Amino acid sequence: MDEAEKEALREAVREALRVVIDPEIGRNVVDLGLIYDVTVEDGGIVYVTMTTTTKGCPATGYLKEAVQTCVWYVPGVEYAEVRLTYEPPWSPDMMAETIEM
Amino acid sequence: MHGASLSRWTMSYFAAACLFLILGQGMMAAGYGYPTVSTAAPETLALVHVVAIGWLSLLMAGALLQFVPVLISRQLVGGRFAPVVLALLVGGLLLLVSGFVALSGTANLPLGLLPLGGVVLLSGFALLAGVLAATLLAARPLGLPARFVALGVTALVATALLGTAFSLGLSGAVESPLLDTLVGEGIGLHAAFGLGGWLSLTAIGVSYRLFPMFLLAPETEKATSRAVWWSGAFALGLVAACLPLLLLAVAGADILLSLAALLTLALVLLYGHDAIGFYRARKRKQAELNIRASLAALAILAAATLLFLLPPVRAAAGENAAALVYLFVFGWLTGLGLSQLYKIVAFMTWLESYGPVLGRAPVPRVQDLVAERRAFVLFCLYYAAVGAATLSLFGGSAGLFRACVCVQLAATVALVNEFVRARRLSYVPAALRAPAGAVHPRLFLPTFAPRR
Repeated sequence: MDEAEKEALREAVREALRVVIDPEIGRNVVDLGLIYDVTVEDGGIVYVTMTTTTKGCPATGYLKEAVQTCVWYVPGVEYAEVRLTYEPPWSPDMMAETIEM
Repeated sequence: MHGASLSRWTMSYFAAACLFLILGQGMMAAGYGYPTVSTAAPETLALVHVVAIGWLSLLMAGALLQFVPVLISRQLVGGRFAPVVLALLVGGLLLLVSGFVALSGTANLPLGLLPLGGVVLLSGFALLAGVLAATLLAARPLGLPARFVALGVTALVATALLGTAFSLGLSGAVESPLLDTLVGEGIGLHAAFGLGGWLSLTAIGVSYRLFPMFLLAPETEKATSRAVWWSGAFALGLVAACLPLLLLAVAGADILLSLAALLTLALVLLYGHDAIGFYRARKRKQAELNIRASLAALAILAAATLLFLLPPVRAAAGENAAALVYLFVFGWLTGLGLSQLYKIVAFMTWLESYGPVLGRAPVPRVQDLVAERRAFVLFCLYYAAVGAATLSLFGGSAGLFRACVCVQLAATVALVNEFVRARRLSYVPAALRAPAGAVHPRLFLPTFAPRR
């Protein structure tokens, strides 16, 4: 995969993740700034680093599984791995400016 | 493991708590307990415990089983005991209330039910405190909200121990001059530990996590927040120090209680300052109904505390400042409880129903499980009725009080119906209600497998 293909897949993954909403806020995880990083490696291997709005939230497992499922279904993805982190902790300042609460 | 699990039995705790709230208000509407009889009458004691244990403590216990793991990002230690605690608390309460009925002489029941109820309740609360303490101890160092819970659990143990001692003394199961003195002088301490320490400090602590979470405000541990905790800890220490003074008939308890009351006022003002700070720093422009209704409860807490510190008002509030205690219990604690239940029931129902299909199918938001406009009217009605009932107690009008409680009860029943509608997904748009794989939850019994 060249860099352009990787970038295209990265964008496709981010776009696909817009269907996953944070149930409490009702906005998608990308615009909320919960997806910290999407890394694409050769062969369609994708690593997603994400967080949740609150550490210890009971929705954490569901959100992580939802992200994992979504990424697997993106055409071109051969392997997907989702890593959860709280470094740095999420803050409301990380939300996209376009979000109107 | 980053996330907490859904607490399997919390909804059962909430359902039992709501039933006891309706029962307690029904008893008042029927003229059972104060102001028809004195505050120390067995009928009033039965009523008080239906509300304090049946409603408020079951609500708090259920909420903590769900939220303590959230506060510390760890699994609950001993979560399997949750149904045992529930059975002990409900069973113990029914025995205790039967004991008070026996004490009142209105039914031919054995007086031994009273201490039996006390002991069963003590074992239930001790088991709950053990579960929470073991969970918190495994997560040290604790953040501020969890430290509040630790303080509240300590106060719960003190409350339950005093209560059991009262049940032994009142029933005559144990005869001792020291116990007689405790029964005569210690009721205020029992109430301060229970309503102030266990229920209020724990609620305040959990709100330090829930308010910024629901308002999308930065969650920072401020000096004022720590001062709230220290004020609460000192106030509880002062209340505890009164116990030996009262038992040994040594002067000074009044001064300690006055100091504790002043510390409580400082605590309430600082807590109000922090809550307003969260509100002002929020990213969510339109605060949801649960927050707006909680802020009303907080304003009532400030008002009740201030009025309690004014001797003429306290004197006008009836026997043992009953009108102000009523305002505190139904305006602050119950108002906050109903407000947060409104959100928590919808949130937990969403997780149970739609969590498993998130990312696989379009799902509703948590907000889609409730109808805020309708509930807003009900909360307004509830608070207005509490205010009117409080004023009628100040005015000494038992008839007007019962009429106001009827309105309060009607608003409560309607709010509980809103919780039921949230559980049944009644407000969810039909197109989103039942995607393939979604779970239709039972009303109050657990149906779901524990999450990994």
